[in-house]
Amino acid sequence: MSEVLVDLLLFAGVLELLMCAAGVLVMRSAFDRLHYASASAYGALLVAVAILARESLSLIGDKALATAALLVVCGPALAHATARAGRIRARGAWDAAPGVEEHEAKQRDQR
Amino acid sequence: MNAWLIAALALLPGLLACGLVCVLSDVLDGLVALELAGVLSTVELLLLAEGTQRQPFVDLALVLAVMSFVGSLAFARLLERRL
Repeated sequence: MSEVLVDLLLFAGVLELLMCAAGVLVMRSAFDRLHYASASAYGALLVAVAILARESLSLIGDKALATAALLVVCGPALAHATARAGRIRARGAWDAAPGVEEHEAKQRDQR
Repeated sequence: MNAWLIAALALLPGLLACGLVCVLSDVLDGLVALELAGVLSTVELLLLAEGTQRQPFVDLALVLAVMSFVGSLAFARLLERRL
């Protein structure tokens, strides 16, 4: 029973990670890709739980769980930082509306 | 060859996909692919550690998780400045 559970968790984790990789490969814009990249931390969590189910709370199980927890906690912060960088690159400022840069450039030209 | 090593092998196409996106797409897409590659590499090390029963590999995975987070964050901050 335990072996089946471990195999099931491992399979689910690897499948989830591969689907995230496929999503990153197939999607067109960086923001679409970001959804798949940030979801990948849960695949790592499934793999870590599989290791924990097999090894119980040993040294390797604890560290695997700590690694996955780190990925799950830091993932959203990283996704936000990346999306913020993309938005600032596209619009010139975090709170700028679309086309603000072009509008300001036109105004400068008119002066 | 056990299930853990097979799983590690199965994840390799995912890393290849990240490499393709890094090479062929825009710099922001490359950053997203780099983030995913960090997670995939971390899981690869976890699976290798479990598959070969070598505990030091788990430390490598933990260190890689921290370093890839810090590195990707630094890249994201640099991209804000339109380099």
